[in-house]
Amino acid sequence: MYKRLKNYQHLFLIFIWREFSIRYKQSSIGVLWAMLQPLSMMLLFTFVFTYVMPIKITDYPYMLFFYSGLLPWSFFSSALNYSIPSLTNHYNLITKIYFPREILPFSGIAVAFIDFLIASLIYVLFIIIFKIKITLQIFWFLPLLFLLFVFIISLSLVLSALNVYYRDVKLATGFLIQLWFFATPVFYSIDKLSVKLKLILFLNPLTFIVENMRRCVIEGRGVIFWQYLIMLFFVLTLLYLSYKIFIHTEKRFADVI
Amino acid sequence: MEVKVNLIDVWKKYYLYNIFHRSLREDLVNLFKFKGNRNNLSKGEFWALKGINLSVKKGECVGLYGPNGAGKTTILKLISKVTYPTKGKILVNGKVAPLIEIGAGFHLDLTGRENIFMNGAILGMGISEIRKKVASIIEFSELEKFIDMPVKRYSSGMYLRLGFSIAIHSEADIFLIDEILAVGDEAFQKKCIEKILSLKKQGKTMVVVSHNMALMEKLADRILYIKEGKIVESA
Repeated sequence: MYKRLKNYQHLFLIFIWREFSIRYKQSSIGVLWAMLQPLSMMLLFTFVFTYVMPIKITDYPYMLFFYSGLLPWSFFSSALNYSIPSLTNHYNLITKIYFPREILPFSGIAVAFIDFLIASLIYVLFIIIFKIKITLQIFWFLPLLFLLFVFIISLSLVLSALNVYYRDVKLATGFLIQLWFFATPVFYSIDKLSVKLKLILFLNPLTFIVENMRRCVIEGRGVIFWQYLIMLFFVLTLLYLSYKIFIHTEKRFADVI
Repeated sequence: MEVKVNLIDVWKKYYLYNIFHRSLREDLVNLFKFKGNRNNLSKGEFWALKGINLSVKKGECVGLYGPNGAGKTTILKLISKVTYPTKGKILVNGKVAPLIEIGAGFHLDLTGRENIFMNGAILGMGISEIRKKVASIIEFSELEKFIDMPVKRYSSGMYLRLGFSIAIHSEADIFLIDEILAVGDEAFQKKCIEKILSLKKQGKTMVVVSHNMALMEKLADRILYIKEGKIVESA
């Protein structure tokens, strides 16, 4: 993968820059949009679970609790939303000029990552406001982010390539992502669930990532090492297979798109 | 002389209909079948190229001439690796600048200057390389006045000028030129032809597609006449 992309790093940078400048070119609040999505969701959940259905979800402040889950979730969902249609949106390039096609989904992911970084600022702010005690366990956040990255890259490679062949993919992912949201512990924690339910939820790699991202930052809990290794092995295998599929299907993109 | 482009018995199959006329079920069935039908046509398929043999040496300019749909552009697409042959082998030795469709990579909301960066990178230039060349690209295009305007407000002639100027500044060894001289006013056309001739003098390899025979005779060392996917005549 590295060898294919080495000569095209400038193209990659320019794609990211272009996505960014186009997106905010005629908007007045610009990058604030990146914060608005997780923030509004957070306010909605806080409102619902405080006034509409007052349920005890956690001992931590609800705003912080929800935001800690929404942050990685928004990265995941917007990365997929940007990258899946990225190949079909650029059919005029794909049918005319050669470059490693994976640059297109990758730049979609990169744009979502920049949004994620901007939205992280609010997270830091919340941690300070709610006076959360930070422990050394917070360093687990980075290896977890790595898992999330690899998982996102794998999914977007396969799904963006499939979308070239069947536009159903884009239509299906729209609502699948919505369903996936509820299967991920964004607005709940798996702590209080039964073991059986926990095991079912752990079939979703995002459960492990999102839950542990929250634990290591606000709860000061570490990640169980062997679990991390299993997850790492799983996402790396997924990446390997996805990349294989992508390379295999890439040759016919220009004929099929 | 070093051979830059070599096509050995190249066949290319295309579908007559949109691929979506086949269903997912059919595709799944095909997946489990042996793919032994490379040599035969199934329903709705046709050969766009039928056994093309072509070798282009360094510094040579080859013209492709023939009716619409003969397969000229397909040959260029195969050389630039946009698409792959169904059968046969293609060897390309060097960096390719496809001028298959000028300005294909333009984004309408970006300005001319921003598109220079965009398109330059697509053609394989580095950012610093583009920075160095921006002035000369703008000068060649004669669009100084309009360069910071979004290209959606450009006329088609301006569009072409910018696209050609960018492409011609790439450091490629092999230029694929497809019918790009048909647009643009006479003065600019003349300038383009001169530029192409000077690239040729520098030892760049070229494959040119055009319907303008007089122009082709001026540019090309030899002209191949292509009809229905075959090279019928070479002169």
